Amino acid sequence: MSRVCVDAERCEGHGRCYTLAPDVFDADEVGHAVVLVENVSGDLEAQAAEAEKNCPEGAITLTAAENRR
Amino acid sequence: MTDTEGYVDQAMAGLAEPQPMYKALRESTPVFRSPQAVVLSRLADIEMALKRTELFSSSMDAVDLGNIRPLIPLQIDPPDHAKYRRILDPLFTPREMARREPRVTELVNEMIDRFADRGECDFHEEFAVPLPCTVFLQLLGLPLEDLDQFLEWKDGVIRPEGESGYDRRHEATAPAAQQIYDYFERAIDDHIASPRDDVLSSLIAARIEGEPLTRHEILDICFLFLIAGLDTVTDSLDCFFVYLARHPDHRHQLVEQPDVLPSAIEEMLRWETPVPGVVRVATEDVEVGGCPISKGERVSPLLGAANTDPAEFPDPELVDFRRNPNRHRAFGGGPHRCLGSHLARMELRVALREFHRRIPDYEIKPGTELTYTAALRSVESLPLTFPVPT
Repeated sequence: MSRVCVDAERCEGHGRCYTLAPDVFDADEVGHAVVLVENVSGDLEAQAAEAEKNCPEGAITLTAAENRR
Repeated sequence: MTDTEGYVDQAMAGLAEPQPMYKALRESTPVFRSPQAVVLSRLADIEMALKRTELFSSSMDAVDLGNIRPLIPLQIDPPDHAKYRRILDPLFTPREMARREPRVTELVNEMIDRFADRGECDFHEEFAVPLPCTVFLQLLGLPLEDLDQFLEWKDGVIRPEGESGYDRRHEATAPAAQQIYDYFERAIDDHIASPRDDVLSSLIAARIEGEPLTRHEILDICFLFLIAGLDTVTDSLDCFFVYLARHPDHRHQLVEQPDVLPSAIEEMLRWETPVPGVVRVATEDVEVGGCPISKGERVSPLLGAANTDPAEFPDPELVDFRRNPNRHRAFGGGPHRCLGSHLARMELRVALREFHRRIPDYEIKPGTELTYTAALRSVESLPLTFPVPT
């Protein structure tokens, strides 16, 4: 389980995240990233990781979230 | 003259394969003072220069295209830059571009129809040039018969005759620039009189904190669109099709595995970097990589060098259509990230998909010597031959 965070100060609207991980990210009206699902696991976590490593501005971070039961 | 200087000289004249120059620069003089500009070729320095607009300004002093006011938004730096991007970015989002895709698909097929039965074409002249220009006219809501006029003006400001340096560009480009201003004056009048579903009408209707854009602001945006939106997609198409003609295995991969197309486009953007560099101007005395740069000096971050820097890309010389991650900087980065990147991606995707669906095999006509243009990487002519589809 990871927690997805977009640094709005860094995001410049390249759109790689919502193209590569459409189930985790969406675009706002100017095309900047919006997080759809904040806590991700499984397939969504894999998608989010793709977005993180492909963001040209390094604006996305995934951090390990506590797995609450 | 050192090898590096020789390379930079050649780059000014247009290079078929610039990647070895990028490598040589990065390894020998990553901050290189050429007569035209201080050239940056390390990804870390380039990224810094693109992000720190307060030190490396994109103002009018960077490049002279004959314009008499700053082009919007390219030549306006933060913080004012953001207010324009807030109204322009929504017009060019991936979603907005997807809405235009069916019409672009038709257009691409009409263009292929004109030469498919001939078994040969000049890809540059008959496809790479008219496609982005026609898309641009449609997007802005301008008459398609203005195509030839537009092409002349675009070349008049980007590649003025007899002038390749930075410093005497103004006289060479000013006449074409004036015609561009005059043309858009009339187009704006026409769109005010009869608004429609196009970008120019959107600009007229746009409000910044309740205020409409001034006539000058709309003109300065239109001027930028013309120089930024036409040539760059032509350059990309030329570079990509030369690459694919010369690398049949890569071309076959596109034909046999259509799902690879989006990431193949990203990889060709990385490898070819059709806009090899951008220009900034230092706003104060600064130092980059131990090299002092004086206030007012031009600085050129070489995007193509960033895109082949092994610090970011393992095996940078390997063209891998499934490369992942691929954080290329072909569209720049930081606040001035290419506004039209999603339009460009859509045009490239449709063009590559439709062309290879209809003409999967082609080669560059034997005996052809390709001549690349300076600064922006198009070829002067690209004769292709192919079997006539049955």
